Amino acid sequence: MVRLITHNLLACHAKGCTTNNFPLKLTDVKLALREADFNPDFLRGFLPRVEWDALIQASREIGDTSLPVERPEMLDDDLLRQLHHVLLEIHIDEGSMTCPNCGHVYPISNGIPNMLLAEHEIW
Amino acid sequence: MPSQQYLIVFAQAHEDFRVPELLSIAELYGFPLNIENDIDPSRPFGVLDLEKEEHVRLLARRCILIKSVYELYAKGCTYEDVHRQNRASRHLWEKYIPNTSFKFVVNGYNHSISKARQRQVIEDFSYMGFMGTIDLLNPEVTLGCFEEYPNGHRTVRLEHKGASEFRDVFFGRLLEQGSARPLIQTFDVKKRQYFGNTSMEAEISLLMANQTLASPGKLIYDPFIGTGSMAYTTAHFGAFVFGSDIDGRQMRGKEAQPGIMRAAAQYGVRQRILDLCTFDITRNPWRCGGLFDAIITDPPYGVRAGAKRLGRKKERVADSPLPPQPRTDVQQYVPPTKPYELSALAADLVILARYLLKPGGRLVFFLPTVIDEYKELDLDSVLCDGMQVIANSLQDFGAWGRRLITIRKATSRSYPPPTFDSQPVPPALRDGDAEREGNPSSPIHVPAHRDFREKYFQGFKKPSDAGPS
Repeated sequence: MVRLITHNLLACHAKGCTTNNFPLKLTDVKLALREADFNPDFLRGFLPRVEWDALIQASREIGDTSLPVERPEMLDDDLLRQLHHVLLEIHIDEGSMTCPNCGHVYPISNGIPNMLLAEHEIW
Repeated sequence: MPSQQYLIVFAQAHEDFRVPELLSIAELYGFPLNIENDIDPSRPFGVLDLEKEEHVRLLARRCILIKSVYELYAKGCTYEDVHRQNRASRHLWEKYIPNTSFKFVVNGYNHSISKARQRQVIEDFSYMGFMGTIDLLNPEVTLGCFEEYPNGHRTVRLEHKGASEFRDVFFGRLLEQGSARPLIQTFDVKKRQYFGNTSMEAEISLLMANQTLASPGKLIYDPFIGTGSMAYTTAHFGAFVFGSDIDGRQMRGKEAQPGIMRAAAQYGVRQRILDLCTFDITRNPWRCGGLFDAIITDPPYGVRAGAKRLGRKKERVADSPLPPQPRTDVQQYVPPTKPYELSALAADLVILARYLLKPGGRLVFFLPTVIDEYKELDLDSVLCDGMQVIANSLQDFGAWGRRLITIRKATSRSYPPPTFDSQPVPPALRDGDAEREGNPSSPIHVPAHRDFREKYFQGFKKPSDAGPS
């Protein structure tokens, strides 16, 4: 749980935290690898939504260097397989995600991130 | 293109959901389906014109409400008519004459047919001259004859009266039994590893999943996932599912391994539950919109579980800002919540869906309603620009019911993230209030789902029912 596809979609949403609030920094992670359905059409469709730099940063934070630093122009089969693995098969079961701007820590426990905000972070 | 007529035999449940389900599955597989007034929801039989036999088979394999599908040979309100048409359909069945094992079934709707009369009905078809053996267990061909009576006689008919008493008689060859219907057993909540008191029944969860057009490679989101009932069925049809809830305990259960993941593993869809997150949709962390092919959800409407959002019941005074205290124990901290009135929640949900859905994406959700108060314009209070209702099916519980609403994002415009400041629709004026305010001619209609919780617990009494006080 907490796959990098999810991480790539979550930004800090505390009050006033609107710039430099993404990507959340991954720390103290406990990882697990679990196989997922390989669906090239899904990946091609989703790719335009991916923030590539954030994906690279996050994958390196947790020790995976399989993807190229530059967003690829063409997706060949090898690259699709690598993208599939990084986005969908690496799970962060424990750890935390920290906002680079305000420093809010979103903890992950048993694979479920707690993205709830405290009262003073809303108003 | 020449088309052939097919008989659909529906399960006798959720009549209002039949046509939307057929249309959704036809759209999912991309074939044309014209249902003008061919299907009367009060009848368990429907006849469809389709270009290809494959199309009716696809319907039978995916529609939860289809019991079986037949190639239609004849339909009429007298046997005379049926036999005449059946003779004219000879080109459809003559290939089975020489050497095909067969079985013949006669069924009645709204009445039962005695064995003796069944035999007589079968013998009346003897002109077809099938020469193959009769095989009741594994026939190559099953011929079905359905007699539909107007309603409710429930009498045993001993004699073959034949004429005019029927509403219709249908005759055809069985193509397939509906193979999606047994999924209701597969997803039975009682046999599930993890469920709660608000889990959605299996049949409805499956019908909802079909309304989302769930299929491999789609990304579907449930923003009030609770115990995950609809996640399992949408994932079963191949979609990736993302879930969130304001209350993490619902998703987790008591064991370390989250309950939703345990139940998903039971159904073999664990890897398609993309992720579960704890957050309030009114304070959500989505980085961008246009992400999902569908949003499927059963919003909490206050009977077994009330809807909550972050905040306090009494708003704080603006000029006394909260001290930004660091949180000491992050896991244990529970922020305050306040109730979320249903009409405001429903309006917010549609605006959120417009932001998060891809163009053409669907929002599928339940809206509870008071049967006597419901008017079609109730939905207007929920809709916003660019969102279009494409199906609205009632599940009737008597005084109240719930409507399964399917809304399509009918625009490719991008919208800004919602602000979640929808105000509840103004509460109902009591009888006489309108006159007192000097506005008797144009009473404002209040949607039946406004303050549903309060109405539910008051037993849906009208103000006039109340005794003198």
